[in-house]
Parts: sequence; structure tokens; C-alpha cells
Amino acid sequence: MTPAARHQAPTFTPTMLLTWAVLATLPLWIERVGLYQYLAVEVLIWATYALAFNLVLGHAGLPSFGHGAFFGIGAYAFGLAQFNLAASLWLCLAAALLASAVAGALVALFISHRRGIYFALMTIAFGQVFWFIAVKAHGITGGEDGLLRIVRLPAGFGIGAVSLEDNVSLYYGVLAVFVLVSLGLWRLVHSPFGRVVKAIQQNEERARFVGYDVWKAKFAIIVLSAALSGLAGGLFAMAQRSAFPDVMSLHYSGYVVMMTLIGGGLVSFWGPVVGAIVFLLARDLIGAVTTSWMLWFGMLFVALVMFRPDGLAGMFAGLRRPAPPPAPQPVPQPGED
Amino acid sequence: MSSTRISRRRVMQGSLMAAALAGGGTFFGPWKHTRVWAQGAAKPIKLGLTCDASGQYGASGQDDLLGMRLAIDEFNAKGGVLGRKVEWITTDTETNPATATRVAERFIAQEQCAFLIGAVHSGVANAITQVAAKYGTIYMNTNSSAPSEAGENCARIKFVWDGNGTNFSKASVKNAVEGVGKRWLLLTNDYVWGHTTSESTKRLAEAAGAQIIDNLLVPQNTRDFTAYLLKVQQLKPDVVATAIGGDDIKALRQQITDLKLEGRTAWINNQQDWPDIWGAPDSLFGVFGTTWYHKLKLPGVDEFVKRWQAAFPKSPIPVPGNVSYNGYMATRELLLAVERVGSTNNAKVIRALEGHKMPAAQRMQHFDAYIDPVTHQVQQTIYLARRNAKPADPTDLYDILSQTEPAHALDDAAPTKCKLVPFDKVPTYEM
Amino acid sequence: MLVNLLPHLVNGLTLGLLFALIALGFMLILGLMEQINLAHGSLFAAGAYFAYAIATPRLPLPDLNQAWATVPLGWRYATAFLVAPILVAPLGLVIERLMRRTYGRDPLYGLLLTFGLAMVLEDAIRALWGTRDYTLPVPRDISGGFIFLDLIWSRYRFWAAAFALAAIALVWVVVERTRFGAMVKAGAHDGEMVQAMGIDIKKLRAGVFVLGTMLAALAGVIMAPIWGIRPHMGIDAVVPAFVVIVLGGVGSFWGAVLAGLLVGMVVGLSGAYASEWSLLSMYLLLILVVTFRARGLFGKKSLLEA
Repeated sequence: MTPAARHQAPTFTPTMLLTWAVLATLPLWIERVGLYQYLAVEVLIWATYALAFNLVLGHAGLPSFGHGAFFGIGAYAFGLAQFNLAASLWLCLAAALLASAVAGALVALFISHRRGIYFALMTIAFGQVFWFIAVKAHGITGGEDGLLRIVRLPAGFGIGAVSLEDNVSLYYGVLAVFVLVSLGLWRLVHSPFGRVVKAIQQNEERARFVGYDVWKAKFAIIVLSAALSGLAGGLFAMAQRSAFPDVMSLHYSGYVVMMTLIGGGLVSFWGPVVGAIVFLLARDLIGAVTTSWMLWFGMLFVALVMFRPDGLAGMFAGLRRPAPPPAPQPVPQPGED
Repeated sequence: MSSTRISRRRVMQGSLMAAALAGGGTFFGPWKHTRVWAQGAAKPIKLGLTCDASGQYGASGQDDLLGMRLAIDEFNAKGGVLGRKVEWITTDTETNPATATRVAERFIAQEQCAFLIGAVHSGVANAITQVAAKYGTIYMNTNSSAPSEAGENCARIKFVWDGNGTNFSKASVKNAVEGVGKRWLLLTNDYVWGHTTSESTKRLAEAAGAQIIDNLLVPQNTRDFTAYLLKVQQLKPDVVATAIGGDDIKALRQQITDLKLEGRTAWINNQQDWPDIWGAPDSLFGVFGTTWYHKLKLPGVDEFVKRWQAAFPKSPIPVPGNVSYNGYMATRELLLAVERVGSTNNAKVIRALEGHKMPAAQRMQHFDAYIDPVTHQVQQTIYLARRNAKPADPTDLYDILSQTEPAHALDDAAPTKCKLVPFDKVPTYEM
Repeated sequence: MLVNLLPHLVNGLTLGLLFALIALGFMLILGLMEQINLAHGSLFAAGAYFAYAIATPRLPLPDLNQAWATVPLGWRYATAFLVAPILVAPLGLVIERLMRRTYGRDPLYGLLLTFGLAMVLEDAIRALWGTRDYTLPVPRDISGGFIFLDLIWSRYRFWAAAFALAAIALVWVVVERTRFGAMVKAGAHDGEMVQAMGIDIKKLRAGVFVLGTMLAALAGVIMAPIWGIRPHMGIDAVVPAFVVIVLGGVGSFWGAVLAGLLVGMVVGLSGAYASEWSLLSMYLLLILVVTFRARGLFGKKSLLEA
């Protein structure tokens, strides 16, 4: 796409509508293909998380390896708000959003002037700090026992409330959030701010030279990504009916990077969604037949990084276009359909 | 066989879909969906074995699995349960609660497992319990020994098969205060299990007249204990009671035995799991607890060990230990309960298990055991052991010092913390 | 007071050397090649497992194994110590070979590649050796305890610290005092120039990677008798390595060594006087330092940030 074309990116695209439509019908047929409703809930939550994460990785070109912290903080905040403030879905989700935004802002203060490998190093170190605190502060978080008995709160709309108790209705609740988040991010990426972010991703020096406030833009994008990751974390707490420290570990932070990359988050807006689906399906299906699923999945992943660094979306684009572009250098631009 | 499965699914899914799309507030009540499985006479009974294969408790989880498999094989060899074959499926729960939640959902919703068995890590056990409770699925927590499992995190559908920290403290503390000395130091892993275990040790030690001179909190994932060991030596306590778990205790064991620190003070450890011991047999130190040992001089033990060895000649650990034993016992008692009530109806099976007495001979322990109807914990013989100075063979690592009968090792605090939900709040099923 | 404090200062010092050792290979590859090697922990674990196979002995050849078992433990241990890192080296070569495809691209790809490899290696170890724990036997002469300041100390721990010191010195000599080191340092900053001088940059990179791999494996061998051997032991090494590197500053050899010592001191002292904060203290130290010195203690503005 040329910059001019991007300028007039439509609010809704066929891909977007098709994605939503397919996801909306999922509970109708998922059991017929041998899967189960809960898996769909988890896939959609991780897809939301991966989209939020890709704001930092794909769109801004900042390799965060500690995002699990924000996801986990969102989960804890959801549970703690439910127990200590009020059992209202909106309030708890807002708490998840806010708590992880604050954590994101704190981290962003330290790392907004960083980039590349140094950025990755710092995010790993900060991720470890949050994970460690979550395990240690067991009076608040329940430690390794987890923060249990989190209720799947009903969505109240003044006149009535919709229960999200069973997996299918929770799925639709999560889908609503997913639609909002994906629409919002799509708009953001194609807004003037999105172009600043893109400029930073392509060349930070040049962006600064042109007159953009690079630090502020990076700060904002990190906070926003953290907040939305936390929102997904809040949904995850609902799905799991508990919050556990493990999702904040280095491994889990790595998983979301894997998902985003596998799907092609670096070249495609919807890549992270594809990646989350592939990753979680592979884990569930390979995990059902062997206890060493990581051996096989890890090899696939390594091969993908080596030969298809732009992920599945890149592969798909390559099939559509007869002559695929050479290996991207530097990271190709996301935000395309 | 698949026709019945699909039909049930479609019924359930149809109603849920209608509900989701209708979106009315009245349709949804508390989740009291009653599942009815269409069952053919010869439909197998399927067990979901939630065992860690990786992560901190990977070794224990796989040893646990062998015990379960032996019990299942034995039932199948005599024609199954109620004339139905017993099938099983296992997936790595990765010592990770988030994974365990998904695996439990998969086992119940997709694999149609009638019962779930297995856990070593308390977070994993809690995650599975929460999922199982929603469906009413009976869950056997084989090896997670956190006191909270039969306390605040107890559940009507969950049964806890391992002795917990309080049980072991009760078996050891009083004698140690009277026999060894009154200046006690606690070495506590800074996480939930460590805290609750040390808390009960402290209470019992002080009740017996001991003085706790310090409680050193050790962060989880500590690999180097030198700072603590120097501090212990400086404080010169009579007894050090440890509540260190997971990989941390393995590192601590290795470092203490290397120093031969046992000579300077007496060490009391909580339960040591056999798979952890087997990896480092030379690192046993102090007095520690267990619920079973493969060389107990009781009828049936030798035969059990031989059966186990014949079934798993390639097991990385050559003999069954307490973890595998718990897996075996939990699975066997569950299937026996199904036979007793003549059905897989969960409410009936739960009732058959609550308060169930298991004679010492069947348990291969010194005293009769029973399933506590208030907390769902198995109250059983608690053994204290130390390292065997004269092993009869390379597996003969324990020198059993004492056996405490269940009544004297009871966790008195548990019943006040445990509130089981009433039966009418448990979704019923039969499959 | 001082008498009470002294043991903890000594402990902090030895602990610090061990932390520095764990970070050393990681630091080399990061500082000289600008690649974060997340498989560092797996290579660390591989070193420990290979050493176990050689020292116990559990070799795959029954005849050789039997003959080898008659050799005294001291010799077997010494062999394991020297040979295990060499056996792990080819793994490093393979990783470097795979990584070549990511050179010139965003460094993120190297990070991801090694993350995937770390998972593969951990599961491969589990498939080969199982989930159970192992212990690496140590010869009597360097194990056990000795009495100093009226306290029992671990003899092996001082040996381990000495090994660590020797490894640090060796790396310093290689990087600062050899032609190889000079080429590597030049190559890190200007690959084209090195190539123009007629040096094969591919071989140079492979050399650095092999050196980093062998150091990771050596750290595994040295730490195994203290920590024990298990498939997921790598993560225990990677995390402190991160802290040490960020604290010391990327690309700084002395920064990493000093940061290791600092972390060891802080963890050791807090272990004795504020025990529950001992591991958290290293993170707090990290945050404190990067607040005031954004690039760590000795970090220079490097290509990594561009």
C-alpha cells in the first residue's frame, strides 16, 4: 500500500468483517470438529492479547519480552477489584485496564528511550521483577496457590444483565471485547498517531529529525499496549476463574511473541490473531498425543523464523503475489490488510 | 459410540447457544446444569490423568502416573469395573495452573472423562478443582500436600490423598522438643505452602515449650543457601525445622549434606517425595516424613512392589515410592467406590468415599485409614524416617523411625477452614 | 559485629564470582555479536548433563563405560570438566549456523530463534535423560566442609569460585590479549572493515559463538554440584545472567564482572540480614542502577540501540 492509500484506510475492511463473522459462528461448529468451547474462549483472549502486544512489537518495532507481566497484572487486578471493590464486570475490567496501564507507564518511564536488543533486555528484567513480586506477595495474590474463586461476572446493562457463566456466553463476551479492541487498534494504526508510530518503527532518528516527539509516542504506545494486554488478562482471569503468577513468567512472555510472529504480526494487522489460533491449536492437539509438544513445535518455530520470518500472513501474501519481496530489512511494516 | 456423544453435545450446545443469543437475564441462573450421559452397557469408563511431565514437578508427576496406570491395569485384568473397560488419557499439565485449567476443560468437555486424577503442585490442583467443581466431576488430588488443599481450598468433588505439612509436624515436633532441645529455628520457603507448614510447626513447637529464635524466609527459586547456612550456624539453634519445597529443597539437601551440617544441629524436614530423593540419594539429611516406603515390613508390600516393577520395567525409578503409591491408592479406591455403588453417578460415588474406612492391610500401612468426611483428606499413618546407614540394597534409603496413627497426626485446623458445598449445588452426572 | 559480618562478605564474594561466571558466555555473545542468546540456559544445562554422563559414568557405549568406571572419580571428574564444554561446542556451532539467516535482519529474529531452540533443547534433554534429577559427583578432595571462623564452609564452593575466577581471567586474555580477540572486537563494530582486511567474518562469528557456548556449558558443569541437574535448570541460569548484563552494561566485560560481584554481595548480605528479600534485592539493585545510569554501570552507547 502506498502512504496515500493508507491515509484513506476504511473503517471496516472485508477481512475484518469476515474474521468477526467466522469467530461469531465458532461455538456452533467447534465441537463438531473435535474441539471444545473453552479452547475457543482461550484462543480469543490470547488473540486479543497478541493484537495488543503487536502494537509494541509489529507496529512500533519494539521487541518486548516481558509483556506477560501486564497480562498477569490485569488478571490479578480483575480478581482483586472483584473481591475488594465491587463485583461489577465493568469496574473489574476497568481495574484490569488501569492497573496494567500504570505498570506499563512505570516500565515505559525506564525504557521509552531504548530500542532494539537493549529494549528487549530491559523488558525481560522488568517482567521478572513483576513475576517475582506476584509470587512473593502471596498475602495479596495467593502466591502459587493462585487468586482463586474469581467469578465470571454478568455483563450488566442497567435494565438487565447477561450472564457470562458458561463457556459459550463467555465466548461471546470476549468476542465483543475482541471486536472493540481490534476495531480500535485498526483505527489507531491508521490514524495520524499511527503514522508517527510507523515512522518510529522505520527509523527513529529520522522520525525525531522530522519533528515527532519520539519519546512521548513510544511512551504512549507502550502504555496503551500494556493496558490492552491487561484487559485481556482480566478476561483470562474470568475464563480461568483464577489468576496465577505463571502467565507472567519469561516462558509465557515468550509465547505471545511466538504467536505474534508465527501469524505474521510484523507484516499483517491480523497476523497475531492467526498466530494465536495456530499456537493454541497446535499446543492442544500435539499436547494430546505427546508430552513433549514443545520439541516439535519449537522446531517448527525455528524453521519459521529462519525461512519465513514474516510468518503465515507473509506466506499467504507470498502466494498471492507471484514474486515475494526479498527478506525484509529491517522489519517490514505491519498495518496492512 | 460417537452418535451418543454428538447427540449429547448438540443438546447441550443448542441450549447454550440459544441462551447466549437470547441474552436474557432470566434464562441464566446459577450453573446447575445436570448432565445426563447416554451410556451403552459396554461404554468404557474414561479417566483423565492430569500429571505434570515437565516443569518443577515433572519427575513426580510421571511417577504418580505409573501408580495410577497400575491400578487401572489391575481392574482391567479382572474384567474392568461394572463390566466396563477402564480407559485413560494423560496430558502434560506442565506444573502450570493455567495449562491445568485448559487440560481439565479438555478432559471433561471433549474427552468425556468421568473422573480426573493427579496433581503435585497446589496451584495445579486448585486450577483443576475449580474446573471440575463446575461440572461436578470427581477429582482425586493425589500428591499436592499443601494444608490449604483440605482447608480453605477444599471441595465436595475433590479428595486429598497425601499427608500435609501439619500432619508431619504433629508427628515430629513434640518428640523433638522433648528429646533434642528447645531453641528452634525455622527455615521457611517464602510461599504459601512454606508459610502454612511453618506456622503449624511453630504452634506445635511453642505448645511443647520450645522457643522459636528466628524464622528465616527463603525466597522461592533460591539455589544457593550458603547465606542461610552461615546464619544458622551463627544462631546455634538446637533444632532447625525446614519447610522448603520444590527444586529449592533439592538444592538445600545437596548443600547441607556436602557440608555435613547435620552434625552441628538437628534438622527436621517435612515430607520428602521419593522421586526427589531418588535423583540425589546421597543428599538425605535429618529427620523427614513420608506416608509410605517400599520396604515397610507389612504384608502385601513386597507383592505390590513386584507387581509395580513387572508393569514398568523401564521406569526411571526402579521402585515405587510415596508419590506412585498415592496415585495407585487414589485410583484404586475411586474405582472400588464405583463398584460398591454400582454406578458412576458422581453424587453416589462421593457419598461412598466420604468417611470410607480403609483397613491397614489394604493400605499397606500400619494403621487403618479413612477419608475424612469433613475435609475430604485421607487421614493415614504418618512415618518419620532418616537416612539409612546400612542399606540392604541401593533403593533402601530410608530408616523408618516411627509410625504415628492418624488420630495423633490430625490437622485440627482444617475442619474449621473447610466448607464443602452442599450436594444439591453439585451438578450430577453419570457416564 | 564485624566478626558476624565477615562470613557474609566472604560468601557474597564467592557468590558474585559464580554469578559473573553464569553471565560470562551470555555477555560475550551479546557484547561481541549483538545477539541475545536465549538458549544460553539450555547450553548451561547441556554442559551439566554431559558432565554427569562422563563423571558417573553413564556413557552410551557399555564396554567403554565399564572400563571407564574403573578409573578413579578424580580423573573422571577432571575429564568431565574439560570435555563436557567441548562436547557442547558443536551445539553452539549448529545454533550459530541456524542464526546466520537472521544476521543483518532485526536482532529480534535472533532472540526468537534462540527462544525456540531453548524450548527444543529442554525437551530434547527431557527425552534423552528423563524428568528425574541427577547429581554430579565431586571428588573428595574438593568437596565436603572445612572450618573457618568457627563455621563450616563448603570446600567445593570455594573451588567453584576459583574456577569462575580462572574462566573470567581466561576470557579476558582471549578478548584483550589475542589476535582473535582484537579481530572479534573490530568485527563487532565494523564487520565490513574486518572483511576488507581479509578476515573471514563467518569464521569469526562462529568462533565467538563457540566460545560463548563453551563458557555456558562450563558454568553448567561448575554449578551442577551445587544446584543439581534437572531439565529446566537452564532458566535458573538465564535470569541472573540477564540481571548481571543489564546491570553491568551491555558490551562491557568489566561491567559484567563487577555487576556479578555486586549482585552476589547484595544477595548474600540480604540473605543473612533480610532473608526474604534476598532474591528481590538483585532486581531492586537493577532498578536503582538503571534509574541513575540508564545504560548500566559501564554500558556504552552501542550499535544495539540503533
